[in-house]
Amino acid sequence: MKTLLRATLATVIALPIFALGARADALEMERNFAGSAQLDYLAVPTTVDARPFSFDGFTTELAVKLAVDFTPNISANVKICYGCHGFETDMAFVDLRVADQLNFRIGRMNPAFGDFPLRHDPANHRANSKPLPYDMGRMLHRAEWNMSILPSPYVDNGLEVNGTQWFGNDVQLDYALYVVSGLKGNNDALDLDFIQSRSGSLYYVDNNSRPAYGGRVALTLALGDRINATAGISGTYGLYDPAGLLSYAIGGADLYVRFDDLSLRAEYLLRRTEISIGSNPEERFRYGFEDLSKNFFVKDGFYAEVEYPFTPWLEGLFRFDGMRRIGNVAVTSPLRSESAVLRYTLGANVVVERGMRVKVSGEFWDFSDFQDDLVLHLGVVANF
Amino acid sequence: MTTDQTSSSLGRGFGLVLLLLLGLTGCATDFGRRGGLSDQQIAAMPPGVQEDYDLFAYKCSRCHTLSRPLKAQITDMEHWRAYVARMRRHAGSAISEDDGNRVLRFLEYWVKQRKQAEAEEGGAP
Repeated sequence: MKTLLRATLATVIALPIFALGARADALEMERNFAGSAQLDYLAVPTTVDARPFSFDGFTTELAVKLAVDFTPNISANVKICYGCHGFETDMAFVDLRVADQLNFRIGRMNPAFGDFPLRHDPANHRANSKPLPYDMGRMLHRAEWNMSILPSPYVDNGLEVNGTQWFGNDVQLDYALYVVSGLKGNNDALDLDFIQSRSGSLYYVDNNSRPAYGGRVALTLALGDRINATAGISGTYGLYDPAGLLSYAIGGADLYVRFDDLSLRAEYLLRRTEISIGSNPEERFRYGFEDLSKNFFVKDGFYAEVEYPFTPWLEGLFRFDGMRRIGNVAVTSPLRSESAVLRYTLGANVVVERGMRVKVSGEFWDFSDFQDDLVLHLGVVANF
Repeated sequence: MTTDQTSSSLGRGFGLVLLLLLGLTGCATDFGRRGGLSDQQIAAMPPGVQEDYDLFAYKCSRCHTLSRPLKAQITDMEHWRAYVARMRRHAGSAISEDDGNRVLRFLEYWVKQRKQAEAEEGGAP
């Protein structure tokens, strides 16, 4: 069965290569080099010592990307990032494009999910922090919450088939379907372990030899030259423990509307994650299980934001986001069977020079299980 | 709050304000919204190119600031054609083939402007 699957995969990959080989006509190899760097300072003025529950202080994010077009139909992208985890490979993939409607992406990539990951680079979004459903480690009480729903950037190894189809000049339909290694965790897990996905000591390979699947569909309408809107839905499913017994399923919906210079964005994400109950659940969990088949919790979250450039040098941002977790918790967890957090963010970007901005924002955090806090951010971001 | 805590907070506040002031020095710089061209640069364009620039500014600022394409070290139009085609294929780009051609028309103008400016700088006595 495995041999058959490998043969099928090899054929799927080889066919477009042959097709493209015939069209590998005259285009000199084109290279694009781009990058960005952000230095951000996070302060929690409402708490004397915020270190136990936050990464306050400075964080640096750096990214460099090289895109190479070998032929009109074959290109490669490599993106290296430096952040809290050190150097990481955010992208290392080859695109084999048969047509706009059919592209094969092979390698290490950001599998298509939602709208925010398209602009997760700090130079491409106005806020100092990421929306809560996509936060990766900078949220307050990140350990207690085990971070967000799908920390961005979500990077994985595999194959993605994607494409775009235009209907006239006003309607664009995009799709992506992928098979990847999937998120990871332990056999006795109470949640995903995002660190395993970026830990070389555990190898960058599938931990249970069972691929995860996912995809996204998005419809874009261009209403004249000054208004456009995109609505999309995404989903992914996989098994995350080495034994292949515990599953996760993530779904999402996103909406982007642009009226002239005013941008509105909203997304909703939901993750259902199965947990290992173990042989002594009464010792492990805060609450008893009435039904042992309900061995899962649900984490959902949203964000809505509006962004507007008031002047060439001043851009404003307001964001409202939140996250909720419903389900049993470990006896040691400070969370309850239903816990929530809401955040209100007001921010501005001061454009120092074309390609360089100062980001400043204030965030009010409203927790159901912890003290509410105020967070101040100040950052500088540059792109080249 | 103790003295140490107060000075720590003050130190943080001072740092924040200092960086903010540094940022505000950008107010006098010559650029347009979303890192684009200034009003003077747009006014100096031939009429057809102004509309193409407007479309370029609107479409390309959906995912990134305009400084990326405006500062890109690309002077070959074949290279730009491949670049714009790649951007056009991004999910939700809202850049149709016609839009892509108009974006390229502006970029052709921009490449010429940059080459001319470089030649003038290089040829200055």
